Amino acid sequence: MTTTRDLENLLKLSFNGDKDAFEQLYHATSAKLFGIVLRILRNRAQSEDALQDIYVRIWQKAGDFESGRASVITWMATIARNRAIDIVRRQRPEADIDEVDVDTLASTDTVFEEVARAGEVRRLEHCLGGLEDDRQQMVKLAYLEGWSRAELAERFAQPVGTIKTWLHRSLRQLKECLGS
Amino acid sequence: MTDHEDKDMLAAEYVLGTLDARQRDAVNVRRGNEPDLEAAIIAWENRLSPLNTHYEAVAPSSNLFTNIRSRIDAEGIEIVRTVPGIADFAALKRKLAIWRVGALGSAAIAAGLLITVFTSDPVLPVADGKFVAVFHRDDTQPAFVMSVDLDTREVTIRPVEATVPEGKTYQLWIVTDETGPQPQSLGLLENVANPTTKQLGQFDPAMLRKATFGISLEPAGGSPTGLPTGPAIHGHLIPVAH
Repeated sequence: MTTTRDLENLLKLSFNGDKDAFEQLYHATSAKLFGIVLRILRNRAQSEDALQDIYVRIWQKAGDFESGRASVITWMATIARNRAIDIVRRQRPEADIDEVDVDTLASTDTVFEEVARAGEVRRLEHCLGGLEDDRQQMVKLAYLEGWSRAELAERFAQPVGTIKTWLHRSLRQLKECLGS
Repeated sequence: MTDHEDKDMLAAEYVLGTLDARQRDAVNVRRGNEPDLEAAIIAWENRLSPLNTHYEAVAPSSNLFTNIRSRIDAEGIEIVRTVPGIADFAALKRKLAIWRVGALGSAAIAAGLLITVFTSDPVLPVADGKFVAVFHRDDTQPAFVMSVDLDTREVTIRPVEATVPEGKTYQLWIVTDETGPQPQSLGLLENVANPTTKQLGQFDPAMLRKATFGISLEPAGGSPTGLPTGPAIHGHLIPVAH
């Protein structure tokens, strides 16, 4: 099992040009990042292309990581998610939403951050639990599956403007509940 | 709603992922120039990233790293790392930051782009006629790295940010003393996912050495006027070691 400390060290070595360290970093993290990208893009070949771009970018941006701000895996996951969302927003303006089973949202991966971030995870889940059911689902579909406002509007049979209002209200409520 | 609240919701929806492509592009540019927006984005990333525990790990194909490795080997960053007298990329970045302060124009900030001007350091030995220019889009991320071989008069442009807004294309320009103040087009960077190589046989090596290069964002098919019409970033050549 690779610890947070190990990942930071591998990232630092990568920044100094150590490609073997970068390969170790890749092997320790690629399944997690691929899981993110695949869930949003829903296409294996495209997700693998995106994953390559993401790791090239991580290699280039290794010097930008600030320890203390986020864990390495969270930092890498943010890069991966941003890239996947950028792609999906360009390519899937009107996706077929029926193919997605909302029940898959219940699954939880315990391998990575769970231990280190158990408190934060519990806090966010608690605050999400304070939202009305459909709003909670909306936030999760957007964050985890990369759904657009238009897709959410179709799924929840509401005008896009209403979805935007609901999202903003939900996000403000989350912010307040999280106390920051 | 106040501007502050607007910005906070923009950051929140950016992180949530619900902005459309155009809005995301705008935020991607603005966050480099607006520290309060950047801070709001980071705060929202911190708030929502515990949701990442819901993502299940899925193994990608086993040969994938081979491709990544060869792309890294071919990357412009590798060239930057070999600039003599500069220990590592961090040092180069610090140096860039200092130059950038002097090179910054308010018009560039307004356009959402920073212009980095490279001056060649006289202590750097010129090796084998090989030079590099880095085109910066924002504080941290080089947008393009260009390597030039004056012996073969070939330039290779490697995009670092391999994305181009929909319906747009990047165009490469050159300005030299000999050809006057108007930029001359060196052609389009059609495929931003891969390095583009251009033959500049028509230019004298000495002229190339002192030239200013620019990359502008243009409508698909290139500038309709023959001159840069979109936001542009510029670079001068710096020598590369063996």
